[in-house]
Amino acid sequence: MGLPLNNIVKFIEIPDEVDSRWQGRVRVNLDTVGLCAYLESDTACLQDVCEWLFSELELSFATIVVEENASSLQLTYIFYGEPGAGQVNVLVNLPLSQTIVPSISHHVHAADWQEREAEDLFGLVFEGHPRLGDFVLHEEWPEGVNPMRKSFNAAMPYPNREPDPDWRPMALVESQGAFMMPVGPVYSDYAESAHFLLETVGEDVIRTILRFFYKYRGIEKISEGKTVDDVLLIAERFSGTCAFAHSLAFCQAVEEICGVEAPERAKALRALLAELERFRHHVTAIAGICASTGLAVAASQAQISEEKLLRLTCRFTGHRYLFGANTIGGLSFDLTDEECGKISTAAWDITDKLKELKEMLMFTSSFLDRLEQVGMVSADNAVSYGLVGPVARASGLSRDLREIWPYAGYGNGLRFHVPREQEGDGYARLRVLFAEAEQSVNLISQVASSLSSGPVNVDIDLKPGYALGRVEAPLGAAFHWVRLGENGEVLRYRVMTPSFVNWHGFHLAAENFAFQDFPIIMATFGLCIAESDR
Amino acid sequence: MTKWVVKGLKTGIKTTGYPGIHETAEGVSPGRPGVSGIEGTEDFKSIAESCPADALTSTKDGISLEQRRCIDCFRCSRLAQNRITRDDGYEWADFTAAGKPLGPAFTRSVHIRIVDAGACAACLSEIKLMASPYYNVHRLGLFITPTPRMADVLMVAGPLTEHMRLSLEKTFEAMPTPKVVIAVGTCALSGGVFGPSFAAQGGIGKTMPVDVEIPGCPPPPLAIIHGLLLASGKFRKQKDGGAL
Amino acid sequence: MMVKLLPLFFITCMAGPLIGAILPDKKNPAVIAFTGAVSSLILLWLSGSLLLSGRTFVEPLWYLAPFGKLVIEIDRISALFLFICGLVFFPVSIFSAGYMKQYIGKYSLKSFNLFFHLLFASVVLILIAGDIFLFFIAWEAMSILCYLLVNYEHEDDEKTRSGFLMLAMSEAGTIAALLAFITIANGHGDIAFAALRSDASALGHIARWAVFLLSFFGFGVKAGLIPVSSWIPFADPASPRNISAILSGVILNLGIYGIVRINMDILPISFVGPGLIMLIMGTVSALVGILYATPERDMKKMLAHSSIENMGITIAGLGAGFIFASSGQPALAGIAFIAAFYHMANHSIYKGLLFLGAGAIDCRAGGCHNMDRLGGLIKKMPWTSLFFLTGALSIAGMPPFNGFVSEWLTLQSLLQCSVLSSKAIKIVFVLCGAGLALTAALAVTCFVKAFGMSFLGMARSKQAENAVEADKTMTVSMGILAALCLLLGILPTYVIPVMDHVTQPYVHQSVTDELVPPFFTVGTGNNKFPKAFVSDFHALGAQIGANELPGRGLVIMHRGAARNPVIFAMSPSYSVVMLILLLSGAFVVVRLFTKGRALVRKPAWSGGIRKLIPDITYTATGFSNPVRVIFATIFRPITISDPRETVSEHFRSAIKRDRKEVHLVDRLLGKPLFRGGRYIADLLAKMHSGSVNAYAAYVIMSLLIVLAIQIWW
Repeated sequence: MGLPLNNIVKFIEIPDEVDSRWQGRVRVNLDTVGLCAYLESDTACLQDVCEWLFSELELSFATIVVEENASSLQLTYIFYGEPGAGQVNVLVNLPLSQTIVPSISHHVHAADWQEREAEDLFGLVFEGHPRLGDFVLHEEWPEGVNPMRKSFNAAMPYPNREPDPDWRPMALVESQGAFMMPVGPVYSDYAESAHFLLETVGEDVIRTILRFFYKYRGIEKISEGKTVDDVLLIAERFSGTCAFAHSLAFCQAVEEICGVEAPERAKALRALLAELERFRHHVTAIAGICASTGLAVAASQAQISEEKLLRLTCRFTGHRYLFGANTIGGLSFDLTDEECGKISTAAWDITDKLKELKEMLMFTSSFLDRLEQVGMVSADNAVSYGLVGPVARASGLSRDLREIWPYAGYGNGLRFHVPREQEGDGYARLRVLFAEAEQSVNLISQVASSLSSGPVNVDIDLKPGYALGRVEAPLGAAFHWVRLGENGEVLRYRVMTPSFVNWHGFHLAAENFAFQDFPIIMATFGLCIAESDR
Repeated sequence: MTKWVVKGLKTGIKTTGYPGIHETAEGVSPGRPGVSGIEGTEDFKSIAESCPADALTSTKDGISLEQRRCIDCFRCSRLAQNRITRDDGYEWADFTAAGKPLGPAFTRSVHIRIVDAGACAACLSEIKLMASPYYNVHRLGLFITPTPRMADVLMVAGPLTEHMRLSLEKTFEAMPTPKVVIAVGTCALSGGVFGPSFAAQGGIGKTMPVDVEIPGCPPPPLAIIHGLLLASGKFRKQKDGGAL
Repeated sequence: MMVKLLPLFFITCMAGPLIGAILPDKKNPAVIAFTGAVSSLILLWLSGSLLLSGRTFVEPLWYLAPFGKLVIEIDRISALFLFICGLVFFPVSIFSAGYMKQYIGKYSLKSFNLFFHLLFASVVLILIAGDIFLFFIAWEAMSILCYLLVNYEHEDDEKTRSGFLMLAMSEAGTIAALLAFITIANGHGDIAFAALRSDASALGHIARWAVFLLSFFGFGVKAGLIPVSSWIPFADPASPRNISAILSGVILNLGIYGIVRINMDILPISFVGPGLIMLIMGTVSALVGILYATPERDMKKMLAHSSIENMGITIAGLGAGFIFASSGQPALAGIAFIAAFYHMANHSIYKGLLFLGAGAIDCRAGGCHNMDRLGGLIKKMPWTSLFFLTGALSIAGMPPFNGFVSEWLTLQSLLQCSVLSSKAIKIVFVLCGAGLALTAALAVTCFVKAFGMSFLGMARSKQAENAVEADKTMTVSMGILAALCLLLGILPTYVIPVMDHVTQPYVHQSVTDELVPPFFTVGTGNNKFPKAFVSDFHALGAQIGANELPGRGLVIMHRGAARNPVIFAMSPSYSVVMLILLLSGAFVVVRLFTKGRALVRKPAWSGGIRKLIPDITYTATGFSNPVRVIFATIFRPITISDPRETVSEHFRSAIKRDRKEVHLVDRLLGKPLFRGGRYIADLLAKMHSGSVNAYAAYVIMSLLIVLAIQIWW
């Protein structure tokens, strides 16, 4: 897959552009092999630099990584673009005493939640950000205690919580008779815990307030100081339904730090297993959409496929959710070529069923009525919120990390295309799910038929350093920033998940639709709260 | 709509025969480390010591498994000096020391409220699949209910995050007696990889009395059904499995 | 002779303001309560006895030069309306004792005392007037007094405007009504109703239509008829709550009285057309009224819209009665009329009760009548809550309260349209029946909202949180009305014969026999029924009470032909006994099963959030918004949306969303009328050129025209 030339030219011109704009106040360091530009900026230029990257270079915002060293706080704003446009890290160093940083979220709205998160966890103040109440840490958490700081002891339960804090959600809707409809955190039959406040005057949702982090397990904090093997377990288990994608991102980051590549066979099998996981995940999401519209038979059909896929996965990999498959340096087990063929055949069988289901769904008007023109996200909004994954691809965006940085086996001649729809409604999201599921099966059979022989893992000597693991998880782009210390222990582990990013944009879809559309819109987003809350 | 009815009928019955017949299909359960019959040698001692979750301990006679800690990392069976095979099966649930089943009135209809106390979504996915055509718990008189007011069983997954603690307590409070609490999955039993820490409790046992424990990471649907049958009093003891 | 009480009534009525005038302002509420209550009791005694005896009392007063004799005439129709008037004025007077205290020092209570008693007297005078002159003098007095009382809080501009609107509309109506009388009284110069009756028989078809239309729409202004009653939703909320109760409970009835007086008594309708118009207009009023009542967040406005609804049901019932009567179905006509009068009486009682309830809330919850901001009052005002609930259940047509009986009878009479010969009329009946059924359903929604949002849940404002129970006079007066709601609901078989008295002169047949069969004791009575049939009812227990209770029986039953002896039957009296038995049985069973177990109270389940706060509970607007959305084509809301931003596109600091609605009538009728008026005014304005020559020319032209008319006529 050739890289588009004009993107590369743009990337190479970054130093000149930066110099002409900020005349030495922003230092540039270009890594042309890894296609990564490092921009070192002071706080004064930060907003302009980020705005330039986001609006003019049309890069997507990935994440903010805050790291605390002995003497300073280092903030890394990571941007990435189309294939060839590379990655841009904007570095800002702050002395430990300074906690005020200019907020970039007015220009790069995708950074909104990430700034709020950093504000809660590190005690930073993002100047200009309209603070909208508690975010990661709920109201019972005392102000001024920031768990991600190095001085905070993560191992013990934190005792000094306020027993009965005054909780009052912030209402923005000014209308006669407006009120907030509370949903959750304990609601519905099987829902994950999260609290939604729907501001409304009845019937239509005017504003959606998401109160998340009920499931905050602090995995970034508890990983600090642990060995990479232990952190791998956490990376695998914080979001069980996308375990393979996240463990893969972590493993790739560690492998990059140590300068080791997994063997070819392992890479190919990683692609196969990642696609198997994506396939199963999308089938689950389709079942969820069918169930949310009350189409019980269709939901059952999709669940049959889901269970078949889980059994298939368990039969060949030992675990239904691919736990324990990735290790640093490869895979923990090998699949024979014959087994891969079996997986491929079984997956094709399931796709046939799925195609049948799709045909039937496309001709069920009562089902389509609930999805078409419901939960719209426009392409402009999708860009400014930096949405990722199937949700973004249903709104006309087509960024896919498998294409941008062909990791694992994806670079080795695997052919696939990234499905895309324009409408941005629930139906478009459903079609993207179906199309991606089909692509996954296609990829599985491509891998199964072109396996090279060899070992599936290599031994690794741990080195200090940092790297960004980038994986297209079933729900979209996942970034795992890992920094290892001298003894190979993890100093900082930062996880940015697609669910977190897409939940941020969820309100765009849910607002101005009726209450009864809310669960359907939620199902078409198909997001995972465990992945978002971490 | 008729096409959907026809489609449903054409698909036929997929449901497992469990608990009447033991389910033997491949892939219904990942199994667990098989420790019975292992003689205590140095090799195993090192395996037990390298268990990242402290689920394995080496004893005089061999290795003992505390499954409520096992996180299915497969390191004991896939490390280079691997000797531990995995046992099949899924009937892992058991009462805690103080745990009691619901009374005899509940053997035909049990309503379950599920609370996600910080689970990774895999446990919830397996719980959701209990109602799928393959397992169809409704046939056993087990129903999921959206409100704790109607619930007899509180099923909790996840290590109990600090932010969920109040909600979980309120849910427990809101349930009428008699009630039974089931902890699902390693996280809910021992905290798994997450705890105890500043954000999570390391299992729900410290907050409320747990009656039935279902180990597994995540426990497959059949294991959860087994736990539910125990809690509802359809199974007298763990060993009676299969006899209704 | 009971009629001697009439002067006594006027004396006590006038004594009120006189005593009040010599006492200080703060004693006036007590005076109002005392004299008002005494006058009401006299009136009740007087009208009650006349109603039961069924006699007509006529007494010429004195001769007035150009108009003729002034006459007082009290027939059964008057007696019925007088009785209802007394039923409303009695508790309202008592209520005023507590309620008016809040005005001490703000507004003159002496003037209120005067207006209140004068209004009472003028209303009675309207109802006993036996000639056009007396009638309209009293009518005008009533209109002006209403204006003064609605305007009582005259320092509020909004309220003054409402008063003007009411005055203007009622004057227009009065003129139309007057024209109706003049059309009948063509020629003679004798203005007594008795003379009009004999004149009327000579009228031609077109004149009859004219009389009907003028009287219907003229009196319809006061009777709450859509489209001529736009004043109600403005005037009712503007006035003090005890006056609202009078407006809805008494003044609206006067409109019905006018319609009935002309079309049933003076010029009895003898063809189908007018009935059809009344049926259709009544149904439309009912539907429009309840549609606007349901989403209303202001309790007083909601009650006012609901008054339109209830008067609509009454008018529809009357219309059905006229149709049946003109198609040779006197028995069914009787049933429909009874239903209509019954409903009117019920409405007076429960609407009075609800307005008093609203007054008590208003008075004790810091002037808050926005249901979005109320809530939780049941804990603060238990008695008021109980009585308001009674009123709400009655108005929503729930058994065993009175609204159920009259709505049931109205719908039953509409269902009997199969006897009519014309298919078109049958279709109209069916459609109107469906419309009224929808009205009844919406009324339930509306009052579930009214009670639920105001009294249950959490207090959504400081005022609601600090509310206290109303004082004794208020609760007692509400209690009286609530008891009446229950009585009229469970003992309809005692009310129906009285109503029957009223309709008899018009339908020429008593329907008591048709509607209230005697107790089903085997062997005695009831020999009109087949034997097996009587024993069936006997077995069901429909003979219970035969020896103990006066009156005919406790079952409402409409008899059909031999093949189908029962067309409809119901007994609220027996059902309420059954209901009590079942409930106590259930209570005993529950007690048996829970014996020895402690009752555990847990807080409401709120999804596990930290705490339930008022901001996250349903508001009245939110509760009724689905109705607004479903009927958006009727409401045509204009949404004004304004997402205010702080600094950038996606950060919102406030989202303003307002909804403006123009009432259906204003949109469809008001606006075109207004535009037409403007157009004509513009045309006329062109004539005013300001030049003296032009005006001279106009004068000469007018003279010429007058001359021409004089010559050719």
